[in-house]
Amino acid sequence: MREPNAVDFWRGIALITIFINHIPGNFFQNYTYSQYGISDAAELFVFLAGWSIGIATRGRDGTPEPALRTVLRLLSRMVEVYRAQLVITALALAMLAGAALYLDNPLLVEWHNAGPIFSDPIQATVGWVTLLHQLGFFNILPLYVVLLGLAPAFVLLARVHLGLSVGISVLLYAVSLVFEFNIPSWPMEGHWFFNPFCWQLLLVLGFAAHEWRRGSGRFLAWRRRLMPLGIVIVIVGAVLSWFNLRPDPLAVPEPRLLFIFDKSYLSPARLVHFLGVLLAFQTVFGLVQPRARWLTEQLAGLGRNSLAVFSVGSVASLGAQLIRFWTGGGFATDVFVVGCGLASLSFTAWFVEWRSRSPRPSSAA
Amino acid sequence: MALSLSPSLLGGVSVALLASLGFAVQAQSTTPPAAQVQPAPSQPALAEIPALQATAPSLEAPDPSLSPECRVPGSKLYTLAKLKAVKKALREHRAVQVLTIGSSSGGLGTAATYPVRLEDALTRSLPDIEVTVESRGVSGEIAFGAAERLRNQVAEIEPDLVVWQVGGNDALARVDIEDFSQSLAETVAWIKSHGIDVVLVDPQYTASLAKDDYYRQFVLAIQKVAEREQVPLVQRYEAMRYLATRAISALKGNASQSGAGFRLADLGYRCMAEHVTRAITVSLLQPDIAGPALPPPAH
Repeated sequence: MREPNAVDFWRGIALITIFINHIPGNFFQNYTYSQYGISDAAELFVFLAGWSIGIATRGRDGTPEPALRTVLRLLSRMVEVYRAQLVITALALAMLAGAALYLDNPLLVEWHNAGPIFSDPIQATVGWVTLLHQLGFFNILPLYVVLLGLAPAFVLLARVHLGLSVGISVLLYAVSLVFEFNIPSWPMEGHWFFNPFCWQLLLVLGFAAHEWRRGSGRFLAWRRRLMPLGIVIVIVGAVLSWFNLRPDPLAVPEPRLLFIFDKSYLSPARLVHFLGVLLAFQTVFGLVQPRARWLTEQLAGLGRNSLAVFSVGSVASLGAQLIRFWTGGGFATDVFVVGCGLASLSFTAWFVEWRSRSPRPSSAA
Repeated sequence: MALSLSPSLLGGVSVALLASLGFAVQAQSTTPPAAQVQPAPSQPALAEIPALQATAPSLEAPDPSLSPECRVPGSKLYTLAKLKAVKKALREHRAVQVLTIGSSSGGLGTAATYPVRLEDALTRSLPDIEVTVESRGVSGEIAFGAAERLRNQVAEIEPDLVVWQVGGNDALARVDIEDFSQSLAETVAWIKSHGIDVVLVDPQYTASLAKDDYYRQFVLAIQKVAEREQVPLVQRYEAMRYLATRAISALKGNASQSGAGFRLADLGYRCMAEHVTRAITVSLLQPDIAGPALPPPAH
């Protein structure tokens, strides 16, 4: 297994943050960095996914792999993510239905937009399998599926000219923001929680940052020089978040999505804040690693196995919510459910790596 | 305070009588200066909204305008307040745009979803006015970010009326009731500040939660916000509790007890469009004259 690195470390932090934030109302939620800024771990997760694509589509010696291999690699990852989404959604539905039966509480089958799957199964089954109907908190992987579908185009364009790839990405982002263009949800009205046409920009920026970093020392120099700006942005974000200051979406001029703080469309304020976070915290891994080796190894272990850890985290956070509901919540319950959840994330990372190290049993059954 | 109509005032009276009595009570209780006294309306108070097909019901008897399976007395179904934006649209004979927030279930195996049923029911009650209903689900909790997304949804649609099934996710997540109340009150005040009406629908009743103190406090907190922010409230919890003792009792005997909660939940969804429509139309009967709020109905 590869040594701990900054990408895996930060991805591990993003996974833990997402897990804790997906148990709303729990005590530890107040202490995740999402509470102290206008962007959150979702941005970090998608940006790092782009960075990883940069690593994965080059050989060990740094030369780009053949185009066809890149396309197949990204599309096969897309299928893997899609499969994970189907499995965790099916598990979540069974958990909600099982809890509803056990606790004799029909409200539970309505939770997190699950209602239509039980009350209108013919349409909603088509909806959730095609990713057009998403359960609450189970909406990051559908975004990732679409991003991996778009990624080959951006990666291959970048081989012609990186600026061209980033330019088209920015254009697609801007057009989606101005014309409020998003994938619709179905059978319920509305649209996707994460708009892939906007969020693709973060993936492409992550990929481009990896390429720039390889290509020139100027990128690193500028990254350092801009660090104070990043710190200012983080402080401004913390103040806005702390005092709950945000633009009134009915008072801003058109096109309103340019001015408001909106997660679905990754509005510019969130994007700028996230880039500020990147700049401000760029040296943290280098500072933490020598002082807390066990911690960095644990976090990097989560990050190396992010799909499996994310999937288990999604199911575990729903389990934690059900336990909080059943028991009535409270600090002790929160310590228990978050503790068990973190242990299960760590176990998952260990188990995936153990399985890949161990000789596989014969599949000729 | 949400305006509510006292039982003694509304014992089966007509719209005209309601308006006259409402005015009389106000005149007695506040004795306004002569210059402000307006003549009692010689015709129904809503003569200026000829399209409205509604009469004020008795508050204590099951409301006969509702279909038999959904029949609940007004006192168990709603607390009322003015709907100024909708009333203005009606006066101007303008189309009314409604945004429903929350589940769009119309009940198991029904041909139409709740937003479609609501649009039909409102169109029947307001036959000369075009009513369109858009719906949006809400992911997450009001106390943690969902209120912000809701504001963006309202800004996207810019409706005349928001019908908001509120609190389900927050109650199941056991969020702090105080945090929830504050966030709800701020969001309702924000929607109203932009000249958009709000009708709140509180969470469902189910027997297994009947003795859950947190849940009851939660429902009560929504009632308080509705009262303080002066918005109509569809008391789904109370209505379903009433239906649980009446409508479901007919089904007992041939079904197991454990399934009763699920049948009641289904009935709740089947009835929701009717119940919301009733709360809207009766709220539209509220006289325009400003005055002290009438006491809320006894629960």
